[in-house]
Amino acid sequence: MAPRMWPFVKLVSKVTIAGGSVYVAYDSGLLGTSEQGSAALEKAKAVVPPALEEWMKYFGLEAQLPTMPKIEFSPVNSWNAGVRWTISRLSEAPTRASEYTNQGLQYIKELIK
Amino acid sequence: MSEKEIGKKLDRCLADGVVKLGTGLGLGIVFSVLFFKRRTWPITLFSGAGLGMAYANCQHDLRSHYLLHTSEQQKQ
Repeated sequence: MAPRMWPFVKLVSKVTIAGGSVYVAYDSGLLGTSEQGSAALEKAKAVVPPALEEWMKYFGLEAQLPTMPKIEFSPVNSWNAGVRWTISRLSEAPTRASEYTNQGLQYIKELIK
Repeated sequence: MSEKEIGKKLDRCLADGVVKLGTGLGLGIVFSVLFFKRRTWPITLFSGAGLGMAYANCQHDLRSHYLLHTSEQQKQ
């Protein structure tokens, strides 16, 4: 009886585990819309580093891992930085040109005096 | 659609893509180990399905600005 039941029990447990994992993924919004997906990613970003630190402390691996260097550069903020800088300089160009021209003319006048 | 809105939508698309790829990978590994004797193809299949879902979501998100909703049609 038991040897006959064993494959069935194995199949049922596998289906339970697979179905449970699919349900957990669905329930936590991982398979939903873009907003739910990005909210889940933010949650994970907030939760994973402290959890990782705790596990490292638990296993005593603190000293072995090198600390992540803090990078100040943000690709999101600097994506169009070149374009913005160029356009702002172009928009200021006439004002600056007239300022420099006036300064140059005053300098020449003072030289002539 | 303003540039800021497009930027936010693209950010959401990327984040969603990462999440769905990871979920597909995880589920693929689970199914591969449990049912398919640790073969690679379920992992590839589920990861691809996750990416496809993210692509479809992104497409819908970017198009939603230009879609007329039923309530607006009734007003017209």
